[in-house]
Amino acid sequence: MGHVIVVDLGFGDAGKGTVVDHLCRTGLPSGSLRAALPSVGGRPPTPPGSPRSFGGVTAVVRFNGGAQAAHNVVAPDGRHHTFAQFGSGTFTPGVRTHLSRFMLVDPLALAAEADHLRALGVPDALDRLTVDGEALLTTPYHRAANRARESARGAARHGSCGMGIGETASYALAHDDAPRAGDCLSPARLRRRLAAVRDWYRAAFPGGEDVPSADACAGAFTAFAGRVRIVGPGHLPALLRAGNVVFEGAQGVLLDEWHGFHPYTTWSTTTFTNAEALLAEAGATATRLGVLRAYATRHGPGPFVTEDPALTADLPDRHNGTGRWQGAFRVGHLDAVALRYALEVTGGVDGLAVTHLDVAGARPDLRVCHSYEIDGERVGRLESGPPDLDRQAALTRRLLAARPVYAPLGDPVETIEDALGAPVVLRSHGPASTDKRSDHFRTPIDLSLR
Amino acid sequence: MGSGNWSTDVYAARASYRASTGASAFAYSDGGATAVHPDLDPRGVTVRESRDSDDHPESLAIGVLFDVTGSMGTVPRTLQAKLPDLLGLLLRKGYVEHPHILFGAVGDATCDRAPLQVGQFEADNRMDDDLGKILLEGGGGGQMRESYELAMYFMARHTAIDCLDRRGKRGYLFMIGDELAYPKAKRREIAAVIGGEPDRDVPIEKLVRELQRKYDVYFIIPEGAYHSGRREVKDFWQKLLGQNVLYLDDLDAVCETIALTIGLAEDAIDLGEGLDHLAEAGSDAGASVSRALARLDAARAPVAVSSTPPGLDASGPSATTRL
Repeated sequence: MGHVIVVDLGFGDAGKGTVVDHLCRTGLPSGSLRAALPSVGGRPPTPPGSPRSFGGVTAVVRFNGGAQAAHNVVAPDGRHHTFAQFGSGTFTPGVRTHLSRFMLVDPLALAAEADHLRALGVPDALDRLTVDGEALLTTPYHRAANRARESARGAARHGSCGMGIGETASYALAHDDAPRAGDCLSPARLRRRLAAVRDWYRAAFPGGEDVPSADACAGAFTAFAGRVRIVGPGHLPALLRAGNVVFEGAQGVLLDEWHGFHPYTTWSTTTFTNAEALLAEAGATATRLGVLRAYATRHGPGPFVTEDPALTADLPDRHNGTGRWQGAFRVGHLDAVALRYALEVTGGVDGLAVTHLDVAGARPDLRVCHSYEIDGERVGRLESGPPDLDRQAALTRRLLAARPVYAPLGDPVETIEDALGAPVVLRSHGPASTDKRSDHFRTPIDLSLR
Repeated sequence: MGSGNWSTDVYAARASYRASTGASAFAYSDGGATAVHPDLDPRGVTVRESRDSDDHPESLAIGVLFDVTGSMGTVPRTLQAKLPDLLGLLLRKGYVEHPHILFGAVGDATCDRAPLQVGQFEADNRMDDDLGKILLEGGGGGQMRESYELAMYFMARHTAIDCLDRRGKRGYLFMIGDELAYPKAKRREIAAVIGGEPDRDVPIEKLVRELQRKYDVYFIIPEGAYHSGRREVKDFWQKLLGQNVLYLDDLDAVCETIALTIGLAEDAIDLGEGLDHLAEAGSDAGASVSRALARLDAARAPVAVSSTPPGLDASGPSATTRL
C-alpha cells in the first residue's frame, strides 16, 4: 500500500480516526489507488519478511495539532476510544505511534488516555509510542491561558477547544525557551522552562484560574520521559524504511491557520504540508487521502454556508456534543464549493474516503451545494492565495453573507467524484472498520460487511 | 475534533506513568536478564565491521563505549536517551557524511557478569536496538577500575574499518566513564571474554598505541560522577591519552560533545561555529560543551606565531653583514 497521509477536507470530524483505524487493520488494497492513478506508488519492492510485504501498517505518525484532536474509533467488538494523541491505529496490535516534531504534546492528557486504553485491554500503548525530542509541550499554564483568553472574548469566541493548543504555538513563537519533549530528560532545564511559562501566565492573566506549581508539573513531565521513548530526528526515516506508515492529520483543512476562515481557525497547519516535509526529509513519498462526510458538519462558531438547523436537530453526533469551550455541533449539506477550495489550497489529493454514507442513505432530503449566492452574484470558486490573514478575514465576511444554491444529493459517491474530480477509494457505512468498502473492487473487507 | 477528553491533573499523570511499568529503553536488562545479550556478546567475534556500501560509500567508524556499572548511577539511561541523537547531530550540519556508530558497554572482568558488550557499526536507528539490549550492571568491583583495557583490546584487534583499510583514515573511539583501567589486558580474561589468547598479557600502554593507529581515542569523564573528581582518574587517562581527555560537567551534553569533537577533528568547523550550530538547533548544551572542548579547539591552532627571523627575508635590508 505504501505510505498514506490522511487529511480532513472540511472543518474536522469527518472520520479520520475511523479511516486510519481501517487502514491499520487491513491496509489499503493496492489496486484501488493504482487503478485510479497510475502515478501512485512506484516504491521499490521490499524483501520478503518485512512488514511491507504484507501491506501492513507499522506506525501512525501525528504531524499537526495536539491533544485537542478527538478521533473516534469503534472496534469490531464494540470498544470505543476517542484518540487524542495516540494514533487511531492503536487498537491493532503492534501498530506504533510516533509524535513528530510538528505535534504539540500534552504529557498530562497522554497519561489519562493511556489509562483508558489500558482499561479497554490495550496495555502497551505507551510502549508503542515515540516522541520527537523537538516536539513542543502543552502545559497546564498554556491551557489556563487559553481558557482565560477565550472567556474574555465572550460572545466573539473562535471555537477553541480549551486545551491550550493555540497558546502553546504562540508562546513558542515569542519564547525561544518554550518547553519541548527533549527537555523532560534534563530536570533542571525542564523546571526552569516550566517556571518561565508559569510566570508568563500569571503576569498575563492575574485573575486566571489556579495552576499547579512548576515543581509539580516537572514531576509529572519527568515521569513521562521516564516512561515514554523520546527520540531524535533519525527515528522517523527509520520507521519509513521499516514498513508502511499512515500520517494522521488533525482538525480539517478549512480550519487551517493560513487557509481557514480567519479568525475561526486553529494554530496549526492542517494541510498535507507538514507530513510532506517529514517525508521529503526521509526521501520518501506518500499517497494523499482526503476524508469527508457525505454531508457537512462544523463544531463551534464560524462560517458554515450549508448549515441546516433541521439536520442539526435530526443528526446529533454520537461523539460530538456541545463543548463547554468549543460550542455547538452543527450539521449541514455537502458543500462542493468549500471542498473544492480545500482541494485547491492543499494542492489536490490522490483519493477520497467518504464516511457516514449510512446516514446519507437514510436521509433522502440531503442536498449538495455547487455554488453560493453572495451580494446577488453566483460564486462557484473561493479565491485562495499565499498567506494573507486580511484576505482570509475578508473571505470570512463574504461567507457569513453567502446563501447556498442547492441541488439534490443523488448518489453521494458519484456526486462527490464529479464535483471534486478525484476518485473515491474508501467508503464508510458505519463506525467500525468492517463498515468500510474499498473502491470498486471486491476485497476481503467486502465479504465481512453487515 | 473535540475538547479535553482526558484528565490533565499533574499528580494523576505522574502516578499513572510511574505505576504503568512497561518495556523500558533497557527492556532486556529491566526484564530481568542476567547474561549478556547474544547480539552484544564479544565472545567468538572475529571482527565487528564498518564497511563501505552503495548507500554509504565513505563510511566513517565511530565507537562509543560507556561504563555500565553502579558508580555511574543513571549515566547509561541518560546516554540511552541521548546517544541516538548523535547521528542526527553529525549529519545535520555535514560534519560527517556517512557515520557508522557502534555502541558498547564496559564492566569489570574480575567480578561482573558483563565485562564487555559490543554492538555492531550501524548507519541508522538500529543502534537504538543495540542500546536496548545492553545489560546494566548494578555492581562494579569497588576497586575504582573497570576493564577498559579489554574493550580497547577488542576495538584494536577485533574491528575492521574501511575508512582506515581503504582510505587510510582513522575512525573515532569515545570511552565514557569515571574509573581507571587495569594496567594490562590479561590473556586469561581475553580468552574468557573475547576468545583467542595472546601469548602474554598486553600492557595498556602498548594497547593504546595499537588502538591509536586505528582510531582517534578520547576519554570523557563526567564531572559529578562518583569518582570523577578524583585526581588519580584524571592523571591516569591524561598520561595515556594526553589532551584527548574531556571533562564534561553536564552529561546531558554528551552527544553534542562527541559531535563537536568529531566536527573539530574532521576540520568541518571550529569551536565557535560548532557552538553556533548548537544554539541554532536550540540546544543549551553550549556552555558545557565549550568548557569540555576549549582546549581541543586551541590545540588546532599553532601554539605561537612568530615573525620571520631576521635575515631570512629576501626583501628589505639584511640585518647581518656577510663577510
